[in-house]
Amino acid sequence: MAVETRPDVGLPQGVGRLTLKWKAFLLVALAVLGFGLFAYGYEQANGMSVTSLRSTGTMGGATWGLYVVMVEYFIGVSLAGIVIAAVSRVFRIVELRPIARIAELLTVASLMVGLLAVIIDLGQPLRGIKNMLLYARPQSAFFGTFTLVAGGVFLSALAYLFLGGRRDAAELAEIPSRLQWFHRLWASGYTDSVDERDRHRRVMFWLSVGIVPLIVIALSTEGLVFGVQVGRPGWFGSLQGPDFLVLAAASGLANLVVLSAIVRRALGDWNRIDAAVFKWLGRFLLVAASAALYFMVVELFTLLYATPSDERQLADALLTGTYAWIFWLSIGLMTLGLGLLIAQAASSNWRIGTLVVASVAISTAALAERYLTVIPSQTHATLLPYDTGSYFPNWVEFSVVAGLFAFGALLIGLFMKVFPIIPMRDHLIPTQDDGVEATNA
Amino acid sequence: MPKYSMAVDLERCQGCRACMTACKVENNTVVSNNWMYVFRFEEGSYPETEMSFLPRQCQHCDNAPCAKVCPVGARFKREDGIVLTDSDRCIGCRYCELACPYGVNYYNWQKPEKGQYDIVDWHDDDIQSATGGAIPPYRNPDLDELYGEEQRRTAGGGHAKGVIEKCTFCVHRVEKGLDPACADTCPTDALIFGDIEDPESPISLYLKDQSPWQLLEEAGTKPNVYYIGGKPPNKELKEIERPKATV
Repeated sequence: MAVETRPDVGLPQGVGRLTLKWKAFLLVALAVLGFGLFAYGYEQANGMSVTSLRSTGTMGGATWGLYVVMVEYFIGVSLAGIVIAAVSRVFRIVELRPIARIAELLTVASLMVGLLAVIIDLGQPLRGIKNMLLYARPQSAFFGTFTLVAGGVFLSALAYLFLGGRRDAAELAEIPSRLQWFHRLWASGYTDSVDERDRHRRVMFWLSVGIVPLIVIALSTEGLVFGVQVGRPGWFGSLQGPDFLVLAAASGLANLVVLSAIVRRALGDWNRIDAAVFKWLGRFLLVAASAALYFMVVELFTLLYATPSDERQLADALLTGTYAWIFWLSIGLMTLGLGLLIAQAASSNWRIGTLVVASVAISTAALAERYLTVIPSQTHATLLPYDTGSYFPNWVEFSVVAGLFAFGALLIGLFMKVFPIIPMRDHLIPTQDDGVEATNA
Repeated sequence: MPKYSMAVDLERCQGCRACMTACKVENNTVVSNNWMYVFRFEEGSYPETEMSFLPRQCQHCDNAPCAKVCPVGARFKREDGIVLTDSDRCIGCRYCELACPYGVNYYNWQKPEKGQYDIVDWHDDDIQSATGGAIPPYRNPDLDELYGEEQRRTAGGGHAKGVIEKCTFCVHRVEKGLDPACADTCPTDALIFGDIEDPESPISLYLKDQSPWQLLEEAGTKPNVYYIGGKPPNKELKEIERPKATV
């Protein structure tokens, strides 16, 4: 068994060592989070009237705004992480094993942030948590968010992260350190005996098999939140669910690429994320981004032919009106990202820097697309002849959302200091006891 | 069991908006929230213009999309047809507002007393000395009672920030055998309320031999508000003289 050790440091991958750079990161993240909390506190004290949100119709606003956009975005991002981790395990893609834990962590962190955004958007947040437990109605599409996503997927992802890390935790629990209690707790009695290892491998396999359909169903309900609404032009449609999933896959993979590149850089000498990982991620992202662009182009053509008056009004707002800059920006960025991926695939020369640029472009395009799903149907597509509305987030909303990003970054940054973010086993030399065969592509 | 409905005679409506004011006073809604709203439309180009009016309140739909999407059952339809909001259960997700094609749901974006008749500053010392510090100066006590078999707090508005509210057909008046405030106030009797299942009720008699139409009937919501005369609104109509509706 090949376990990472370095004679000069007790714990691997910088775990337990607080470097100057990490402290600077902590400071910045805490400052942004603190300001986000201040903005949220200000909002709670004065009501959501301090945001740009307003009722639709006679008040001429959007009642769901940036917070809901971020709910959709973050929950979407969560898809790719756990799917990549599961797929690498089920199909034994050895090259992806170094980022399996990063992927699991990305899912857990983005789900936590996404679900926090749901709570933040509620007018009565505490009552929301209580009443969803007491009075939840399965008939509401929201039920999917509160149960399948918050319960099923989040708890499964946590279980996945926990079980996947147990073997490493057992190793770390043997090393004297300030974190030994934590590693013992995580190992929770696991000793890596042959029987345990075999049982563990089977549990992880079936969890991998089960979690993919669960997350697909759960995340489809996010699309259905909009797709089942007949009262708002632009929303009703059977494609909302699949469209959500495809964009989720693209944005999630893009974020996974960026996070893996950051971790690779941060780990320095400990880095074990090699070019093969990015090659695989690049290929997956190419497929997901192609599908996402396909959906966007189909949407564009449908808009061009929109004839009913309400749909036409929405189409004009998107193509040439208020939201045109966001619409064309999203199409442009998605095309740019896809172009960079195709160029790399064609030359078989995957450069991490270029892949990161493509990923940032695709992730931003996905965020813009989420914005366009949520907002214009509220301001420009009322069925009764209300005046056209308007919405653009203000400093309170931007600050709260920045705080959410900082919270997510803190979760990942703190994790890296208490546990190895790359599995400690040598992924390049798979062994029989890992239950992995050498299937290098 | 009665089934409460309302008829709106557009041939009688003169767009005076007395119903809007009556609703506000009766239900203590904040200034921006117009549970009863009267569109004033202009059609055509000057000098060939024509004015028309369209009162728009909650349609108390039989197939209420707002009730279907509510994740906690705060929005519900009673057996007597009235669609209500339990202000103690509402979590403020505003999903009902988006599900409704009529735009009749209003959220309390801030503490209701802050937005109550904001023509004066009720915190001003001079005003407070006259009102004895009461903010707002009047609160309909009926609105805090529990109603229906379910005994839920469903009447009136201005209960709390961060919850959705809408027209209740003045459930607190209906349970006393009274008409909703809007219908009671209308100077031309353009709003007729009653039990549509009872053939002898005023609304049934009024609708008899008429050809009523329903708002956005094609949305499949099965509204319980029937319009007589006039014509369904379309995008060619230009709304004029909008009342103040901001927070």
